[in-house]
Amino acid sequence: MRLNVIGMLFGIAFGGVLAASNLHEYDTIHAMLRLDEFDVFWFMASAIAVSAPLLDLLERRGMNTPFGGELSLSRSMPEKHHVQGGALFGIGWALAGTCPAPALVMVSSGAMLGLVAIPGIFLGLHLRERQQQSDQHVGDGEHRMAVTSDH
Amino acid sequence: MFDALPDRLAWFVGGPILGLLIVGLFVVANQPLGASGAYVQTSGLIRRRSDVVVWRVWYFVGLFAGGLLVTQVFREGAEIRSGYDAMRDVFPLWATIPLVFGGATLLGYGAAVAGGCTSGHGMCGTAQRSPASVAVTVTFMATAILTTFVLRIATGGDL
Repeated sequence: MRLNVIGMLFGIAFGGVLAASNLHEYDTIHAMLRLDEFDVFWFMASAIAVSAPLLDLLERRGMNTPFGGELSLSRSMPEKHHVQGGALFGIGWALAGTCPAPALVMVSSGAMLGLVAIPGIFLGLHLRERQQQSDQHVGDGEHRMAVTSDH
Repeated sequence: MFDALPDRLAWFVGGPILGLLIVGLFVVANQPLGASGAYVQTSGLIRRRSDVVVWRVWYFVGLFAGGLLVTQVFREGAEIRSGYDAMRDVFPLWATIPLVFGGATLLGYGAAVAGGCTSGHGMCGTAQRSPASVAVTVTFMATAILTTFVLRIATGGDL
């Protein structure tokens, strides 16, 4: 229960930052990928620059998280499916001009073509899941999705 | 409604805030601030699977709600529109719809194969300094820029 509320709050905050930064607009992503404007690259780089050292520090301190046990980062080695999946993702990203989180904000901002993008994303994820008969690779990065219940 | 936010938050404000959110979700739940996993869990809930990670579904709802809050409440209130202005300048609607749908399907499939998307691998994965995530990110950045370039050539520089 508490984790559901926390999850929703993180969603709201993430969606809010994306919206405030206009990352839900096709035109923003398109200008980035055309290399006309570098703001989104800097946006991503600064998010990583802030989070990477903090995560490193917390992991080395063996931080205990209230809902997920000891903080553990995953550093897996690249495999073929990473490059293949990444390549397809990039082509789709350029065509649709959006990706999973911004597509949701696209709709809440009133841009109705987001209602075309979201079912497409669901379909793509589902096709892969059916093909594999398991969702072992489907998730958020390489981090396991083990946190299912509240404590 | 309130017009309280600027038209666009500067990257050096938004980026670090997002960085802190990434750290925050690890601190609270030891989990990445990704998005494709939320889609997987939400579709699992719709299909009544038994092993659904419910908080990821609330997170999915939250993403939508956060966008609503910023675009409709903290800003003047965006009207209903098609979106995709730059694409609509070049293509009619009947061509835009399959392009967006096809692209979205491809990126969903690719995210499933790679094990994450722009947030899961691109930001959270590289923030964990995972070599796999760096490989995914470099690859999708390269093919996305290349695809955009090809589209630009194909449309005679219009798109």
